[in-house]
Amino acid sequence: MNFNGQNTAPIYIQIAEWIENEILADRLLPDGKVYSQYQLAEIFNINPATAGKGLTILVEKEILYKKRGLGMFVVTDAKHRILTTRRSETLTKMAKEIVQESKRLGVLDEDLIKLIKHIQKEG
Amino acid sequence: MITCKQLQKHYGKKEILTDVSFQIDEPKIIGLIGRNGVGKSTLLKIIAGHAKASKGYIEVVGQKPFQNLTVAANVIFIEDAMTFPAVLTLKEILESAKKFYAKFATDLAFKLLKFSNISEKNYHTQLSKGQKATFNLIYGIASRSAITLLDEPMNGMDEAIRNDMYRVILKDFIAYPRVIIISSHYLNEMEQLIEDILLLHKGKVALFAPVEEVQELAVKLVGQKGNVEPALDKYEVLATYENGPIFEAIVRKNDLPLPENVRMLSLSASDVCQVLTATEGGSIDDIYRKSEYGAEYL
Repeated sequence: MNFNGQNTAPIYIQIAEWIENEILADRLLPDGKVYSQYQLAEIFNINPATAGKGLTILVEKEILYKKRGLGMFVVTDAKHRILTTRRSETLTKMAKEIVQESKRLGVLDEDLIKLIKHIQKEG
Repeated sequence: MITCKQLQKHYGKKEILTDVSFQIDEPKIIGLIGRNGVGKSTLLKIIAGHAKASKGYIEVVGQKPFQNLTVAANVIFIEDAMTFPAVLTLKEILESAKKFYAKFATDLAFKLLKFSNISEKNYHTQLSKGQKATFNLIYGIASRSAITLLDEPMNGMDEAIRNDMYRVILKDFIAYPRVIIISSHYLNEMEQLIEDILLLHKGKVALFAPVEEVQELAVKLVGQKGNVEPALDKYEVLATYENGPIFEAIVRKNDLPLPENVRMLSLSASDVCQVLTATEGGSIDDIYRKSEYGAEYL
């Protein structure tokens, strides 16, 4: 059996990321209304329950909030929250990759730190 | 809406379903998945009341389905072998459908037929395989039945029309929520459309869970054999594949840290279902390796 090697995140996570990107791009504004699960289902051709799960994780992350009977809205400082988590997540991930590659190449810890400091000075 | 408890079905001595239990009590789209001959069609026939279970309990819209009029009025069963009166044109079939299905969306059916480039002047028997499947599916969706059973509805359709028809199912479901069960071999095409997967294996329900849960049951570990293999005792291994220098293991997901020099890839729900229902004889590669047909370099 063959599997394709692509690493695909579950669709509801992709939906959540898409909404976050819309917020970062100012296409969804603070306290503005977000697409309903049915609108998302039609836009992305996915099951409404899956779209609903994407919205739910953003409510759990306090990026969106629910108004009963009215739908989902963007939390006032959502953009700031998204940026903060993404910065720490992305940086940690890149740092891990650098450390792994250094190990593979036999670079000493102190040399790696020297290198980072050097780049910071130049930058 | 549908309840099955320890349902069994055998034809003579041949056992098809040995112990099928599940319950569906709200509108949703469900993918009925399983290997060839596992009894997907048989199960749908029993739900539709076209076949009788040998043993066990089944209730559909509050009734025992076999030859039951209430069930017949609320359930539509779409399959390859569906026939319509040979003397009627497609136009006449659609015009008379409301007599059998009170909520039949006649106007929608005509529009979808036109969209699919099928002439309403045709007779059902004149249609090509793909056209027949398309017409049957349009009929099934337009019926707006509380329980819509689609047995391999996309068989014979080309990819373009399949994609259009997936969208028809989705849009009509959003507008008129109902229970839609679709059996299909094209799980990878349907993954986005369905909410739950009902996986049949060896006559039983192997899994009945949301697509995302199925997808997250297992992951693939990839790397060199020397790196992947020693780590495997920490996992429940579902399958391993060795292909030249690459060693892959499908394992049940856990929260342990990833071993060094091993990559972890996520799987599609379709991949997971394939692993869970794999035949026990190993892989195609094993057959070639062991047989006289295998090339020498293997």
